[in-house]
Formats: sequence, C-alpha cells, structure tokens
Amino acid sequence: MRKICCVFATASLVLATSACGAGTLAEEDAEDYPDQELDWTIAFGPGGGNDIMSRTMVEILENEELYPNDIVVENREGGSGATGWGHVLSQSGDPYTISTTSGSFLTTPLQADTGWTHEDFTGVGLFATDDTLFVVPSDSDIESWEDWLEFAEDEGTVTVGGIGTVNVDFIIQAELAEQAGYEIDYVPFNEEGQMQSALLSGTLDATVSNPGSVLGQVEAEEVTPLLYTGEEPLEVLPDVPTGGDFDYENLVSMPRGLILPPDAPDHAREWWIDTMQQVVETEEWQQYLDDNHLTEDVRWGDDFEAYLEESATGLEETLKEHGAI
Amino acid sequence: MDLFSDLLHGIASVLSPTTIALLALGVLVGMLVGVIPGLGPSAGLAILLPMTFGLDSVGAIVLLAAVYYGAFYGNTITSVLINAPGDAASVPTALEGYPMARRGRAAPALIIATIASFVAGTAAVVMLTLAAPAAASVTSNFGPPELFLLVLLGLITLVMLVGRNWVRGALSVVLGFAIGTVGIDIGGGEQRYTFGSTELINGIPFIPVAIGLFGLGEILWTLYNGVHASTRDPIKVRGKSGFWPNRTEWRESRGPILRGAPLGFGMGVIPGAGATVASLMSYSVEKSISKNPERFGKGAPAGLAGPEAANNAAATGSMVPLLTLGIPGSASTAVLLGGFLMWGLQPGPLLMEQNPEFAWGLIGSMYLGNVMLLAINIFCIPMFAAVARISLPTLAPLIIVLCAFGAFTVNGSIVEVGIMFACGFIGFFMRMYGLSPAALVIALVLGPLAEETLRQTLIISGGSFGIFLVRTPSLLLLCTAAALCVLPLVFPLVKRAFQRGLDRRRSRSAGESAEAGHADRS
Repeated sequence: MRKICCVFATASLVLATSACGAGTLAEEDAEDYPDQELDWTIAFGPGGGNDIMSRTMVEILENEELYPNDIVVENREGGSGATGWGHVLSQSGDPYTISTTSGSFLTTPLQADTGWTHEDFTGVGLFATDDTLFVVPSDSDIESWEDWLEFAEDEGTVTVGGIGTVNVDFIIQAELAEQAGYEIDYVPFNEEGQMQSALLSGTLDATVSNPGSVLGQVEAEEVTPLLYTGEEPLEVLPDVPTGGDFDYENLVSMPRGLILPPDAPDHAREWWIDTMQQVVETEEWQQYLDDNHLTEDVRWGDDFEAYLEESATGLEETLKEHGAI
Repeated sequence: MDLFSDLLHGIASVLSPTTIALLALGVLVGMLVGVIPGLGPSAGLAILLPMTFGLDSVGAIVLLAAVYYGAFYGNTITSVLINAPGDAASVPTALEGYPMARRGRAAPALIIATIASFVAGTAAVVMLTLAAPAAASVTSNFGPPELFLLVLLGLITLVMLVGRNWVRGALSVVLGFAIGTVGIDIGGGEQRYTFGSTELINGIPFIPVAIGLFGLGEILWTLYNGVHASTRDPIKVRGKSGFWPNRTEWRESRGPILRGAPLGFGMGVIPGAGATVASLMSYSVEKSISKNPERFGKGAPAGLAGPEAANNAAATGSMVPLLTLGIPGSASTAVLLGGFLMWGLQPGPLLMEQNPEFAWGLIGSMYLGNVMLLAINIFCIPMFAAVARISLPTLAPLIIVLCAFGAFTVNGSIVEVGIMFACGFIGFFMRMYGLSPAALVIALVLGPLAEETLRQTLIISGGSFGIFLVRTPSLLLLCTAAALCVLPLVFPLVKRAFQRGLDRRRSRSAGESAEAGHADRS
C-alpha cells in the first residue's frame, strides 16, 4: 500500500513540476525579476521571534527601495510551522513566495509527518542564530556555572525547564547535563510566561530562555545567568561564559534564514542573495540584531543549505539518543 | 503621592487629540473584531499589531489596549445576541445573556454587561494602580502545582454550571477532555489522535468547537423546534421599558458585579487560566448564593453580570504580571509582549522604572478606554439589540455564514470550518439529549492545561503527590478546593439548623411576650 502511495506521490510530483515548468514561469524573463507582488509567509503568529525578524526585513526592503513591487506579509501559523512552510511548499517553483526559518523549521518535520523537510526548499541565506541563556533564580545562592555543577552534584538530580520536548531547549538541557555529568528531570512548558513564573516560584532549579525574553529578569536580579550557548559572549552580558569556555559541543541554535519554495529558479535565488547582502549591511539590521540579542552568522545559498543539513542531522541524532523521537 | 503624580502624568500624556482618536478607533475596531464569532481579543491584537509599526510606542500601546477592551466587549455582544462565545471566559455570558435576548431583553442584557464591564474594568485599573507590586508577588508564587490546583478549582465549579443533571454533565466534561487530548502531547512529544494530519498537531482549537456547539448548534435546535415557522414573533421590544434594565434586574446585578470584580482581578494576576476560571467561579458563586438558582441557565441577570465583571477585571489583572514582571499571563498579553519588544522596550521587572511614561501611559489609557467603551456602547446598543428583532428565517443564514467565516479567519484554515460544522451537529444532539455544551468547551480548555500542569508537577516532584502539601501556596489552594467540595454539602445542614434555632427562639420569644402580655393584664 505504502509503495503504491509513493508511486502516486512521485508521479504527481513529476507531473506538477513539469506542469509548472511548462507554465508561465519558463516564459518569464530572468532580467525582469522581480516584477510581481511578493507573498511573504510568516509561519508563526504576530509578536514572536520569526514575526519580528520578517517584518524588520520587509521594512528594510521597503525603506531602501530594494524590492520594486508590493510585499504582502501574511502570518500563516499553525502546527508549529507546518502550515506556513506547507504553504511555501505548495508554491513549488514560484519565485514570488518567500519565508523565514527558525528552530521549528528543522524540528517539526522530525516530530510530525509534515510532507516537507528543509531539503525541499531553496535556501537563500542564513543571517543570524538565536542562542539561549541558562538561568537560575537569584535567591538560590548559585552564582556561577561551577556553583551550579556543585549544586547539581549535591542534589543528585536537578529539575530544569524549557519550551517543548522535540525542541532546541530540550537538546541544550540534555547535552549540557550529559557533557558536564549531572542528571536532569526535564520539565517541558508550552509558554515562556508559565515557565518563568514556575522558575520564580521555586519549583524549577534552572531554565533556558531566549536572551530577549529573560534579560528583563536578569537586570532586575530576579534570575542569575550562568551560561550562554552562543559562540561569542553576549554583548550585554560579557561576563557570562559561553558553552565553548567549558568545551561543550553540540549546543544547537535556531537558524534565522530565508527560503524560497522548492525548485525556485536560479535567477530568483541569485537576486535574493544579492539583495539580502545589502540588507544585512544596513544600520537598521544591525540594530535589530542588537535589540534581539541574535548572533550574526551569515552564510549564502549552498553554504546555508549545507548548514541546515548539518544542523538537522545533529538535531535528529541528539533527539534519538535522548529518546525524544 | 508619587503614585498619583505618575498616574496623572500618564493620563495627561494620553490626553492628546491623536491619542483620544486612536483610543476611539481602537475600541470601535476591537468591538467589530470581537463581534465576528471566533475573533476574540488575542486574534484582534494579532491582526492589528503589525499596523502599529508607524506609531510611537505610547500611541501604539493605547491603540492596542483599546482594541483589547473593545474585543472583550465585542465577544459579549455575540454571546448575548447569537449565542456564540468567542472565548471560554464568555461561556457564562452566553448561558445567561442569550436566554435574556430570546425573552426580548437583549438591550437590558447588553447594558448590564456594559455596566458590569465598566465598573469591574475601572475597579480593576484602580487595583492595578494601587496594588500592582503586591499582586505581582502572587504571580511569582504560582508554579505548576499551584496552577494545577487552580485549574482543578475551575473544574470543580463546573459542577455548579452543570446543575442537577450531573451524570449528563459529567459525560459532557469527559467529552471535552477527550477532544482536548488530540494533538502533540507536551509531556512526551508524541502525537495523539492526529492520524498524521499536520492540521491537528496543535490539537483541536477551542474557537471552532465553541462557535459550532453554541452558535450553529443553537440555530439547528431552533429549526428543529420549529421556532422559525411559528407566526408569533418571539421578541418584542417596546420603547424605553425595553431598553434599560428594570429595577429587579438592576438589583440582581449589583452584588455580582461587586463580587466579580475583585475575584476576576485576583485570578487575572495568575498566568494561565485566569479569565476562564474567574468567570466560571463568579458564575458558581452567584448560583450558589442566589435565592433562585433554578433561574440560572434561563436568563438570570446575576449569572450574566458576575462573570462579565470577573472576565473584564481579569483582563486588566493579567496586565499586572506583564507590567511588573514581564511575564505574559494570557494569549493576548503574549501578543502585547511581542509588541513591547518591537517598540524596543525591555519587558521585565524594571519596565515601570525605566519607561514610566510608557507604563503609566498604558495604565492611564485603561481608565480612558473604559469610559470610551461605556460611551460608545450606550450609543451602539440599540443598533446591536436590533439584531435580536430580526426574524429567524432572515437571521439564521447570516449567523451560519458568520460562524463559518469566524472559524476560517482565525488561522485561515478550512479544516477548522469543518470542525465548526461537525460541532454544530454535535451541539444539536447534545441539546436534544440534555448534555451541556458549556461544560464541554470549558473542559476542552481546562483539560489540557490540567494535564500539562499535573505532568510538570509530577516531573518536578519525582512522581510524588506530597508536593501539593509541602508548598504553602498550593496547600492554601488545596484547602480552598476542599472547602468548595464540602461547603455545598454542609451549608444546607447549617442553614437548616440555624433556621430551626431561629424558629425556636422566635416561637419562644413570641410565647414569652404573650406571657408578658398576660402578666401585664393581670
């Protein structure tokens, strides 16, 4: 049965692609690109990290008059990104559909039968990565990573929190525990808000959070940051050590990049690489990276796709190893 | 008196013509968004957030806060007029408000709801102004064990909502729980009952279920009963007497509003199930202390005013953790938090200190927003109430279209429209067999939350239930839950004993005075 399905799927895919090839797209002159309205898909709701990045990019594209036509931004949320990227997948070959990536771009296909993986899409480029901050409540007397390791050893097993199970947060907690040699009970949360109040209420020993959402608590000395998972220390917290300082590896981060639908024409990909190279040079973009505490990490085209492949394989292995999938 | 100068400063900063215009615009847009079944406050905010990019942070927050209130009220309008609550917290509003509208008391029901919202909203902003820091310390006591107990409290109060028919009520609750299990299990990451569909990864959403069960289910039920064919116009509104609530209705609403406001504010401060639990608790409190509990479910003003007040106070209460701790307590405040980040503000405990202009501007705009809402509503209610006068054959198709539209707009998903229609038929049969759609949708919201928090609690405690007894806040909640279970059993006994004692004393004193009378005469 499965085989038959596969055959049908492949057949229809071939038909669909050839139909597309024969359609308007082949006739379009590469030199005219772009001369149509752009459909910009955000696979998450407004106000989230992905949304803020997309809207910043669109604002820069419009302010600098880099995109000559209208850009229609649409939040297509649902299914942890499955809906939004599923929409991009369905626009195969269309150079006027575009979307931004985040951690779920790699993890959702591992968790559910989305019908797509990162391999299906045409990568434009990676601009930055989102790393996390490991924090403990300030009334815990733990002031450094060494204190934490000592505390964890005394406790036997520590209770740590993060968002979701098949997710970056879980991998970071599991990897840190394994490499530093302590035992954890991982408590998954659905929302940042509930996780932070759980930490403040003294039910959790530590959590990992996005710097942007937890820095307010750090400044108010409600929580103490012990470790940052990025490669370079966080600019606003230069004294907080990074995972690298302790030789920890495999501390995954969220890829903040841009993708086109499967089989998007090469000229469109080239156009976007050229244009985005100008975008990342702007002051507004640098300001955005600073405000949201992202780590700049620029890779274009094939390098970006290779990076996604490498991250996805790493994620899958780690998740399997820890029994999450 | 720093507080007052801050507040006055905040109000003054909002008092420019532009901001007032933004406020009015926000309230109106919010109401319009809320009137579409399915689009509630969080959806309204999400849609409008990107549009605030061009504004400065104070203007943007004023607009969004106004949308937030307006949408809360818009939800009330659909609940009362077409029985389609847009969120779990307005289920009690639909339970009481809709029957009132069917009786021809649509305008009074809306006015009671407006006044309840205004009074509770304003009272809650005052509480926010005075007690935000103290209230914030409540928030930081709520870990998973406490949240679980709170949700449990909400579920216990469902007993009151269900009433006498508890077997059918329990069945409805179990159905709600069952629907709630669909989707990715937050504990283990497994998919449950999704059958490989990516549409169902995040579970069956509340909105299409609620719209289907209530809105569409109601239409089907009326058709089945032949109301559309009856010659008698079921709704008559005559002159002024049909617009303002009458004296009994006022009297019955006063107490519930005054009780609902602090209850709602307190619950709203707690991140998680705040507004839903608050409005449910208010409903059950009002029903249990009412002299005519049998009138609940048939259009009791008390059951409308209390939860409505609690709901609105909770909306303001949920601003407390957002402003004082930087923790979003609800879906809507999470969207607002995203807005803070976009405007370059750092949410967190220092927000009020570092950006007093912004924080107090927001608080100031809440005072004005409530006044604006009251003013706009008093003008608009006759128009809204006119909907209730439209005959069913005209209205029903419109409602069905609106329901389908509402279910579609939230996520632009056609599957959700399907869920809505399916739930419409389920709602019809539930009515036919005396099951409770209200209990189902509330169980659907609270069930997954109870599961999630219980699992978190047990991971934290290593599988032991002792954690509920060790932590003071959770112990307090446990006692409350126990009291809630025991009181209804004990209360009638106490009351009877008290009554008997009273009777005895009365008869004795009557006897004594009679004897005294004799003595006098002799």
